[in-house]
Amino acid sequence: MESNKKYWKGLEEYKNTPDFVENNKNEFAEPLPIEDVLNEAGLSTVTPRRDFLKALGFGLGAVTLAACQPTPVHKSIPYLIKPEEVVPGIPNYYVSSFNGQSVLVKTREGRPIKIEPNPNAGEFNCGTDAQAQASVLDLYDVSKLKAPVLKENEKATWAEIDAFVKGELNKVQASGKKIRIVSSSVNSPSTKNVVADFTTAYPNTKHIQYDAVSYTGIIKANENSFGKAVLPKYNFDKADLIVSFGADFLGTWISGEEFTSQYISNRNYKTLAKGKMSRHFQFESGMSLTGTNADTRLPIKLSEQGPALITLYNAITGSALPGGALPNNTSADKAIKLVAKELLMNKGKSLVVCGSNDVSTQILVNAINAAIGSYGTTIDLDNPCKRYSGNDAEFAELINEMNRGEVAAVFFLDSNPAYDATNAKAFTDALNKVGLKVSFSDRKDETSSLCNVIAINHNYLEAWGDANAYEGYYSVVQPTINPVFNSRQAEQSLLVWSNAPVQDYYQYVRNNWEKNILPALGKTWNELLQTGVFAANAKTAGSYSFSQSLAAVAQSIQNNSKALAKDIELQVYESIPMRDGKHANNAFLQELPDPVSKVTWDNYIALAPKFAQTLGFKEFDVVSVKGANGYTIELPVLIQPGQAVGTASIALGYGRSKVGKAGDNVGKNAFPFVTFANGTLQYATTVTLSKTGSTYELAQTQTHYSFEGRNIIREATFKEYVKDPAAGSGNHGAKHKSYDLWDKYEKPGNNWVMAIDLNACTGCGSCIVACNVENNIPVVGRDEVRRRREMHWIRIDRYYSFEEEGKKNVTEEKEIAHMENMDRVSVVHQPMLCQHCDHAPCETVCPVLATVHSSDGLNHMAYNRCVGTRYCANNCPYKVRRFNWFNYWNDSRFDNYLNNEFTQLVLNPDVTTRSRGVMEKCSMCIQRIQAGKLTAKMEKRPLKDGDIKMACQEACSANAIIFGDGNDPESEVSKALRSERTYYVLEELNVQPGVGYMTKIRNTDTVQA
Amino acid sequence: MRNISLIIRRVWKSAFMFTALSVLIVSGTQAQDAAEGRKIFKEKCTSCHSLDRDMTGPALQKIVPTKSEAFLLKWINNAPAFIASGDKEAVEASKFNPNAEMTAFPSLTPEQIKSILAYVKVGEPKKEGEKAGAAVQEEVSGFSLAGVVAVILISIVVLVVLGRAIKMLERLILQKQGVEIVEEEKVSLVAGIGGLFKNKKFVFFFILCLVITLGSFGWMGMWETGVHTGYQPVQPIKFSHELHAGTNQIDCQYCHSGAFKSKNASIPSLNVCMNCHKQVQARDSHDGNISPEIQKIYNALGYDADKMTYDKSKEKPVEWVRVHNLPDFAYFNHSQHVVVAEKAIRKEKGLKPNEPVCFACHGPVNTMEEIYQYSPLTMKWCINCHKAAEINGKDNAFYTKIIEAHEKIKKGEKITPAALGGLECGKCHY
Repeated sequence: MESNKKYWKGLEEYKNTPDFVENNKNEFAEPLPIEDVLNEAGLSTVTPRRDFLKALGFGLGAVTLAACQPTPVHKSIPYLIKPEEVVPGIPNYYVSSFNGQSVLVKTREGRPIKIEPNPNAGEFNCGTDAQAQASVLDLYDVSKLKAPVLKENEKATWAEIDAFVKGELNKVQASGKKIRIVSSSVNSPSTKNVVADFTTAYPNTKHIQYDAVSYTGIIKANENSFGKAVLPKYNFDKADLIVSFGADFLGTWISGEEFTSQYISNRNYKTLAKGKMSRHFQFESGMSLTGTNADTRLPIKLSEQGPALITLYNAITGSALPGGALPNNTSADKAIKLVAKELLMNKGKSLVVCGSNDVSTQILVNAINAAIGSYGTTIDLDNPCKRYSGNDAEFAELINEMNRGEVAAVFFLDSNPAYDATNAKAFTDALNKVGLKVSFSDRKDETSSLCNVIAINHNYLEAWGDANAYEGYYSVVQPTINPVFNSRQAEQSLLVWSNAPVQDYYQYVRNNWEKNILPALGKTWNELLQTGVFAANAKTAGSYSFSQSLAAVAQSIQNNSKALAKDIELQVYESIPMRDGKHANNAFLQELPDPVSKVTWDNYIALAPKFAQTLGFKEFDVVSVKGANGYTIELPVLIQPGQAVGTASIALGYGRSKVGKAGDNVGKNAFPFVTFANGTLQYATTVTLSKTGSTYELAQTQTHYSFEGRNIIREATFKEYVKDPAAGSGNHGAKHKSYDLWDKYEKPGNNWVMAIDLNACTGCGSCIVACNVENNIPVVGRDEVRRRREMHWIRIDRYYSFEEEGKKNVTEEKEIAHMENMDRVSVVHQPMLCQHCDHAPCETVCPVLATVHSSDGLNHMAYNRCVGTRYCANNCPYKVRRFNWFNYWNDSRFDNYLNNEFTQLVLNPDVTTRSRGVMEKCSMCIQRIQAGKLTAKMEKRPLKDGDIKMACQEACSANAIIFGDGNDPESEVSKALRSERTYYVLEELNVQPGVGYMTKIRNTDTVQA
Repeated sequence: MRNISLIIRRVWKSAFMFTALSVLIVSGTQAQDAAEGRKIFKEKCTSCHSLDRDMTGPALQKIVPTKSEAFLLKWINNAPAFIASGDKEAVEASKFNPNAEMTAFPSLTPEQIKSILAYVKVGEPKKEGEKAGAAVQEEVSGFSLAGVVAVILISIVVLVVLGRAIKMLERLILQKQGVEIVEEEKVSLVAGIGGLFKNKKFVFFFILCLVITLGSFGWMGMWETGVHTGYQPVQPIKFSHELHAGTNQIDCQYCHSGAFKSKNASIPSLNVCMNCHKQVQARDSHDGNISPEIQKIYNALGYDADKMTYDKSKEKPVEWVRVHNLPDFAYFNHSQHVVVAEKAIRKEKGLKPNEPVCFACHGPVNTMEEIYQYSPLTMKWCINCHKAAEINGKDNAFYTKIIEAHEKIKKGEKITPAALGGLECGKCHY
């Protein structure tokens, strides 16, 4: 059964633009320089032949000479005194935490080289996100300061710094003026204690927490509604019905990887096999990662979000709050009424979330959740999340205090307001009036360059510490390498300056745990260092009822909505790769394509196709974006299907000016568009756009590889699936007749195969970064990506399909679907990597047998054999082979990314770095397979399923990637591949791929009441 | 040559030692005691004591004369008990090194202790004779070498002179017989050669020979390119595997502990050296000074042998020169070979039971004064072994299933690494 649904990678393909057709027609993506060779300066003159012979002669001679060199002298330097736990060649693993998430740090000979999830973390063992995977590169960042800075002296000693800061603090203390510690949210119990100790020593101190992307709205709303100023713990796994209004909960909202793990547990192949699947509606203006995964996604304007929530509230409770009307968006209006019906049917099993940071809006969301019985089931207010506790108003007040000259000393811990504060200008002006300015940044960033002291902090991989991401859930941070530079832990600096009795931070953390945390848990410090996490028994989640008047709330929402509806509505959002811009100097993250737009190394203004047309903009036109506050930036336009008409979206986290070599001046800063209103930061505002006349090509990986419209995505609705599990998988009826040119490969021992659950993959891209780090994949930079030369071994293809009237997948919601425009777009993410075909087309065309088949089902690639003809890449139907155009690890053109001695410490010593002129591709982490086999051999036992895990598989929060031995019928992967949903991409070519995909299932059918 | 002279020197040394000892033995009972005492001393005391230097314990020749024999007998027999008894002198003596207590030796009889004391009093047998002997030996070996060369040179000269003389005589005889001597010989030779080159057959033959010779040299040269069998770089420390692994029979794993756990055999860190060389300083053979090679270890660690202290600021790593170089793109794992495949390799390479498996590729390390590359380390060499060795799957459960599967396909054939995919590129290149 062939699906007649059409998929597009991009609008070029959908519209068949002349450029796209032209590009696709050519065998090579780039034009071949035939013209240059054939013009009159080419073959007709004598020089090229003579030059050729000269070069040939020289080359031959040079190669002969080079080959004749005597044995090269390689130095081998052993440890002077080898640490007992280090065996060269064997990795050590240490537990630590990244942003409150417990992780394992893999070290080789004392260098951290990979971050993996901590299997001891229980409920919170949910893969790692791209930031965690890439964080290991931040340790080896050459743009960091090597010593603390005291008044422009970049070689200050800690003694000088301590003397200066203590002297100044004593003066401040004597003057009675205020001291402020400005940080992003702190949940570390020890850090909190340090701040408390510092406050005891200097009683005028106040700790101000603010987050660049704030959740103050939710915290304040909960305080208002239930008297609990907390960020709740959301349980997406307990929700059968999820309705999200602009919350990108699978991506950037609060804790994407945890929510992904919970969310997918109701949608993966195991749950589907039981005939269950949750249902997810998304109402949003910009196309978010979560939106692409929703069963039903409806674009709404930002100004319609408030009215939409009021409509929903009215429909659920039957009340009649004013302002609940969506006159211009009937499809959303109808959808909301439908959603209301379903929510009432799923009381206690559903969840409504909203991405807004507006207190009134969140109070209304609380009211809705209370009405559908979410509290105590899907929302837990008693074991709250402690990741974010920033208070926007306190930070706003700080600027006033500084302006009034009341603040004499300010400390910046893990915060960079000169970049990410909404009113950065006002902030920096006010900062001039402060005497002592200390930053704990590890580099001269926007804020620290304005400070008199930069007391450089350790990277988290060099530091002791702890985290408390949820009530009762504690994890430890332990160092995995000696501090590389002359840095000192910020907490230790604070302890030294407050003359604390215990100044060694390791001792301090340990004391704190042994006194305050461990006794209650009945555990010891050493046990903690082994498991990394301890969770106290969770409190029973109470149910809360909402009993407040919503009149004022509705009024405030309406006012906001009216204010927004004036101009083009702009949403500023965190993008998946860059988030709030803290890791902007991380080249792995900069080159990670945005999951939806597939843009790397830039931000842009996303506009709906129809809307851009009305405004007269084409893709890549540079437009001037002017905010309501007068802030203006110029950004290229990106045509984004699914974007609500009348709105625009710009990613935050770009446009850093002082972050380092890789990240400086990449994109434009959108933080100044954030406004401060009603006590919180608002990420929706209005802008005006005007053409500048220039164009700028974004480095997109989107249409780099075309499948020529072949049927590679298989999809079914949940209703069809329940009727027939093989629906849409193409596994029915007569298959394409296949012919074999080659003999069958014997795979007597192991047969390494992979299954990918398209229903689980959210497209977040953490597998891409994990693969980069594991396999020493180089970063190529914006220009090379534009030339289609990105090196990623695994990519995630994003396919749009536009729902058309009368076609199969259009369901009960027929009447609400608007097909004539591209607002209603559904998306499928498909991870694409080497398929390790049994009859691999690449193998047959290799003239030097550099790529050959193995007896355990892998397609090997011997780099040292490859001569770079690129025939294999041309013959690969999946376009997963990558060519090394440069010697990326030793070429000054790539100095800004990974090519320097220090950064190269991140390399995995078990994987060779490829040289210029050779092909590379996914090796199925063969180093891990070989290591797993060797461990079993040494222990004289058979391999177990799960002994060997791929880097991508390990990182995946959704468990969408399953790897194992296909010859073992009991292995997880064999079971997965036996699923009726399994199909193979381009099966009809009979290349016999080793990677099976499971159909995407969309729960679009309404269960009628 | 150096090796030969070393051996000769060693033989000489032991001969002198033997003579000196026998002289001492003959010279009376005290000497006999001292000899006996020396033996016990070397066995039991040297790890903490030296005659003339403070080590963990004090320098004995300084401390012993200050103590009474009765005290010493008690002290050496069981110092801890002696100190515990509260004896003032003993308590005082224990303060020499507060970190280390003198070990008790209850097994030593008073006679044995006395003999140790006798040895301490007499000291090391005098080495004057030995020194002289060593000098003589040096001269002898130098002389013999020079002699051989001289003899050869002289005989060559004699031969040349004789040859000339014979020629001259022949000429004289011929002259006497009245035969004309043709002086144009040389010219005709040159002309003859010139003539040969005009001969096409000869030219063809000559060129053919030339091509074959150069070709085969080139061919051989190409095969040898990048192959460094016998590579023996000069190392920063003259470490002798012959002495350590051969004479002293130290197990390979003691230093190269990584080989059985990891892909790297690993060069030992200096703390491993110090396990022995904190005490073993080879002073005997260096006039009571620390051997300069051992001193290099101390220098690298910033260790002061007299004060027995480490100075971290003087640490300087030892830069060994790698002998076995594999290219970056080839993955080799020691543990795979020496742990998993030990039996197979032993069988394939025909190692004796008392030889470590390492010898299969590294050669007779126990006879290498300086280490050199024994095997060619070429891919051909790897593959030949992978094709030939038979996997011993019987006592390794890992292989059971895999070998079963293979048996079905290749009944009766030998299961080699190659049969299990050991020749596939990706097994070593990734």
